[in-house]
Amino acid sequence: MSDALHLLSATEIAQRLHAGTLTSRALVEALLIRYRNLNSKVGAFTYLSESDVIAQAEASDERRKQGKTLSSLDGIPVAIKDNIAVKGQPLTCSSKMLAKLISPYDAHVIEALRAAGAIIYGRLNMDEFAMGSSTENSALQKTYNPWDLARIPGGSSGGSAAALAAGFVPLALGSDTGGSIRQPASHCGVVGLKPTYGLISRYGLVAFASSLDQIGPMARSIDDCELLLNALASPDARDMTCFDQGQRTLLPPVAVNQLRIGIPRGILDKGVGQEVAAATRAAIDFYRAQGATIVEVDLPSSDLAVPTYYVVATAEASSNLARYDGVRYGHRSSQATTPVEMMTLSRSEGFGPEVKRRILLGTFVLSAGYADAYYVRALRARSKILSEHLAALEKVDMILTPTVPTPAFKAGEKISDPLQLYLEDIFTIPANLAGLPALSVPCGKSQHLPVGFHLVGAPLSEKKLLAASRVFEASHPYRHQQAPL
Amino acid sequence: MAKGFDIDHLAKLARLQLSAEEKALYSNQLSQVLTYFETLARADLPPAANVAQVIEESALRADIPGQSLGVEAVTKIAPASRDGQISVPRVVDDES
Repeated sequence: MSDALHLLSATEIAQRLHAGTLTSRALVEALLIRYRNLNSKVGAFTYLSESDVIAQAEASDERRKQGKTLSSLDGIPVAIKDNIAVKGQPLTCSSKMLAKLISPYDAHVIEALRAAGAIIYGRLNMDEFAMGSSTENSALQKTYNPWDLARIPGGSSGGSAAALAAGFVPLALGSDTGGSIRQPASHCGVVGLKPTYGLISRYGLVAFASSLDQIGPMARSIDDCELLLNALASPDARDMTCFDQGQRTLLPPVAVNQLRIGIPRGILDKGVGQEVAAATRAAIDFYRAQGATIVEVDLPSSDLAVPTYYVVATAEASSNLARYDGVRYGHRSSQATTPVEMMTLSRSEGFGPEVKRRILLGTFVLSAGYADAYYVRALRARSKILSEHLAALEKVDMILTPTVPTPAFKAGEKISDPLQLYLEDIFTIPANLAGLPALSVPCGKSQHLPVGFHLVGAPLSEKKLLAASRVFEASHPYRHQQAPL
Repeated sequence: MAKGFDIDHLAKLARLQLSAEEKALYSNQLSQVLTYFETLARADLPPAANVAQVIEESALRADIPGQSLGVEAVTKIAPASRDGQISVPRVVDDES
């Protein structure tokens, strides 16, 4: 099985393409067979043009033949979450609102991948407008966890994580506003990185909560995650939050025996499943045995993270999603006879329940008489969470927690209880509020379901996080385990 | 912290038309969420918010005209268009 093409990492594929023992076309054909056989079970992809990906693969093989290979990603497929614009392909955000939209342009990250020769490979299912933690809020289809098809893959980048775990593709893009890359990565046993706020341009990412949104790489190995990160992170004047060349120097990695790892005091005591806690403790013990210094850190405002996030994120969403008014693109109600009806009916018909709920919540926390009590207080809490994290990261290189308190739950189990679902993101949200890089790394199983640990570092410490987790990965070859499809 | 809210008023502000079932469901769910938010009301917080951005830089680019989508690309994705323009329901009445 070790030679099955769908199990190869991007790094291994690059080596074979370079050595001439594999062509991009042969790889893509093998992946397409797997897609045809299994996507109906997993539901990861919402769109894939076979002729388009074969043409891209042939073009890559031709470049290689002529000695004009563009980068180590040349000829390697990268699947794209359906909120990142690819010219000429659907850009639905898994919403009825955008069901018919064909993107007229490429996102910055897509331009970067094309320049690197990567194959832009299909659209991945997600929670509608990236709002959710189970991908059950997609208006298009269900996605299931390849490790147990009765369970959710996590969300909102559930299609991305499921596609990797199912062996459909070696690399995928996700987006992360409160944990939407890392939580599904944890649930599906893959690697997911939310970069420092500002490292990757969001030009062409459909906006949800702009002070929190980041695009990030997802993969089945740390090396692959870093390979993809390197291709995505470049300056772009079209996103005013994106770092200039001079601002984006990443901090160097630290040898594992020099590492200082912070563990928030009492983090495993409340609400964390037994096996998740055990897997996290085993990871901590591993680092201690490798010579790392384990330090308890205090993050007293952690309890404020989830409410702060849901105030800030819904406030920004209510503003960002005001653009869907039926005028320029997206769904327009056929019932409307006046402009106000056009806006109201188009929005009511186009948005699903979770999106409506969050727009209403965001509208409330910004409304006259309540903005000071909710939105302004949330901004103050956000400042406090940020300063506590920066203070902790003065003393340690990174903070380690579980990624999610419990493993993937059964489909339908929490769909009617938004608050329970919001608590899925309790460990991932602070990194978004503070703009810090954060990585989920597979570290074990709870029964048959993958569990991940979560590392948060100082701004621009991506290489530190990746290097630390590479040491763990080398001793825990989870990547060679295959989801039982 | 006040947690009463008027679902009809919110729906109007958000330009959403909600059915009676939706109003009941969202009112109930939003009340639960707002109750959970009360930890924010009790918290001891710094007096003013710093902008919560890790690296603060002024990143406004120069205002130089560049390439943008052409009329054809824009009207192609519009719900309705005529003569290179996006059309919408009548905004101004004949009488006014």
